[in-house]
Amino acid sequence: MKEKITIGPFHPELEESVYFKLVADENRTVTHVEIINGFIHRGMESLVTQKNFMQNLILTERVCSLCSNNHPFAYALAVEKISGVKVPPRAEALRVIADEVKRVASDLFNLAMLTHLAHHHELMKDTMDAREHMQDLKEIIWGNRMDMSANQLTGVKYDLNEEKIKLILETIALVEPKVNALQDRYENDESIRAKTIGVGVLPYEDALELGVTGPVARGSGINNDVRVVAPYSLYGELKPKVTLRDGCDVHSRAMARFGDIVEAIRMIKEVVANLPEGDTYVEKRPHIPAGEAVVRVEAPRGELIYYLKTDGSQKPVRMKWKVPTFTNWEALKVMILGDKVDNVTMILNSIDPCISCTER
Amino acid sequence: MSEVIPKLFRINTGSCNGCDVEFVATAFVDKFQLETLGVELVNDVKDANLLVITGPLTARSESFLKNTLTKLKKPFVVVGIGTCSVSCGIFRDSYAINGPIDKFVEVDVNVAGCPPRPQSIAEGIAKGIKVLEQKMNGEATPKAIDTIFKDFSAPDSFRGRMSLNEENCTACRTCEIVCPSNAIEISSTGDGWFVHKIWHNSCCFCGNCAYFCPTGAIFSTNSFDTAKLQSEKFSDVNVGYIDYKKCSSCGDRYMPPSKGLLSKAYTHDDVTKLNEKICPKCRKEANFKRMYA
Ligand code: SF4
Ligand code: SF4
Ligand code: SF4
Repeated sequence: MKEKITIGPFHPELEESVYFKLVADENRTVTHVEIINGFIHRGMESLVTQKNFMQNLILTERVCSLCSNNHPFAYALAVEKISGVKVPPRAEALRVIADEVKRVASDLFNLAMLTHLAHHHELMKDTMDAREHMQDLKEIIWGNRMDMSANQLTGVKYDLNEEKIKLILETIALVEPKVNALQDRYENDESIRAKTIGVGVLPYEDALELGVTGPVARGSGINNDVRVVAPYSLYGELKPKVTLRDGCDVHSRAMARFGDIVEAIRMIKEVVANLPEGDTYVEKRPHIPAGEAVVRVEAPRGELIYYLKTDGSQKPVRMKWKVPTFTNWEALKVMILGDKVDNVTMILNSIDPCISCTER
Repeated sequence: MSEVIPKLFRINTGSCNGCDVEFVATAFVDKFQLETLGVELVNDVKDANLLVITGPLTARSESFLKNTLTKLKKPFVVVGIGTCSVSCGIFRDSYAINGPIDKFVEVDVNVAGCPPRPQSIAEGIAKGIKVLEQKMNGEATPKAIDTIFKDFSAPDSFRGRMSLNEENCTACRTCEIVCPSNAIEISSTGDGWFVHKIWHNSCCFCGNCAYFCPTGAIFSTNSFDTAKLQSEKFSDVNVGYIDYKKCSSCGDRYMPPSKGLLSKAYTHDDVTKLNEKICPKCRKEANFKRMYA
């Protein structure tokens, strides 16, 4: 007996709107999957060409608020490539701090959603509480819990003084033991293991073939972290240590994210301790000539590519993104087919989908 | 009087996910007190009487939103969360946007913010519950809406509602140009005044205006008091007046340099004394006469 099941587009377990049409057999195993998209399409590639370079600093941030620092970061890198600006060392350091703080908060949110969908209420609350420290930090230093508005076209908009550095270190000192304890619980908790191990499997070969990226790749044993394979900003010196897991399932992807968090914390501490003196931006804003640039950075969900084309005017002629979820999305079909209907939203969450990035 | 149990269902009509993520924080982190409001999160929209809507309503979502709305039983209230839901915010000019949502559903409470603080979200839901109580118990005169927060100030550096110091503004329009949401509108009255408006319900609280303003006239306050009734939607505006001064010598109108700029240029002087009330043309003439006449 076949059963047709639809999920979405508006559903409490879906953070963002998406529409699943599934067919399941009598054991509630998915035999057919169709995913209908487009609900978050806001026409952003057109919008960015209507706005000037200053406005786009903010518009790119609103592509997605979970990786809302990566977008303006990559955008600024692209503009700087075209206009030949070299940002001061202190600005590079501040960019990395902002980015890694975002990474910790973003990954913790995804993990909290995992436990929410696995109905482990206590673990979810504890994960959200750990994330709250990062949210408070962002609000105090950057002024908003999600959108930091940290970057500008020749550096950064913010600076750190003694007091703020102390606050970062104190927050990290609070978060670090909590993250370590959480990591231990996610690794060993019986009910989490039962619900996530062997679920949503993406074998190594499929992962390679589909070109997945970020923690989805790392959970299937592939390291293509942009910070390692094509270092930018300070990452060449920081040498992030990448956690690889080979379970290829929901659990492995979650644990790969924990690896990212731990490493982000290490890097924040290191950069803050060695913050170079000097300017936070180049005072003279250069003319942005006609040109083209491609840059790529590692967002919390994986590789983010920015293409920018300018013609010497105040607005971009073309701007295009390749976002991590775009490649990871295809892997969903491999993960969901043959798995249980009840696991679908959890599998979706395991790629940490950013539909707003993908459909923009 | 029947007891009112608020049953909440969230609809994302195309948000950048910031508002939805912060809604989750509001719902599941104890300090934001959503539980104290007695809110129940329901799995089916049929059971809901409190709709929380985020996003600017993409073209793709429109028919699905309309369809979902038909499933609701009256009375219900709608709380729009985030600047997008109120005015389409930063996405307003796009071909793919059909919002704001109040074109298709009667909205009761708007919470501006990008994303709003969880405290503002909780505040908006609290106000929504009050409206729901009025609707369900049919009171003729709506009573004052209670608030759950007495103090609306966040950390000093929080980017809250924007404000303008008219004294320092020269109507140079930099803020208008860098504002990504077209939330700032500067117009001339034609008789010597400029009007500087900040539309709080369009603002995405990004701080670009304050960052690029050359005189420091526009600035963000730390107020997160943005949960407002629908009736206040179009009046939540900061209005500033910047006037041309009358030259005390020739009588022409002119824009004096702002105190903010002068104090940057003359760091050691008392700028209030520098600002003589004559226009640049007369000042040049006076200087010329002083030196050569
Ligand atoms: S109001 Fe801001 S945070 Fe909320 S959905 Fe819109 S752009 Fe995102
Ligand atoms: S607020 Fe600042 S940027 Fe805007 S018009 Fe006034 S002086 Fe210019
Ligand atoms: S903070 Fe300023 S620049 Fe940003 S949207 Fe609001 S008014 Fe515009």
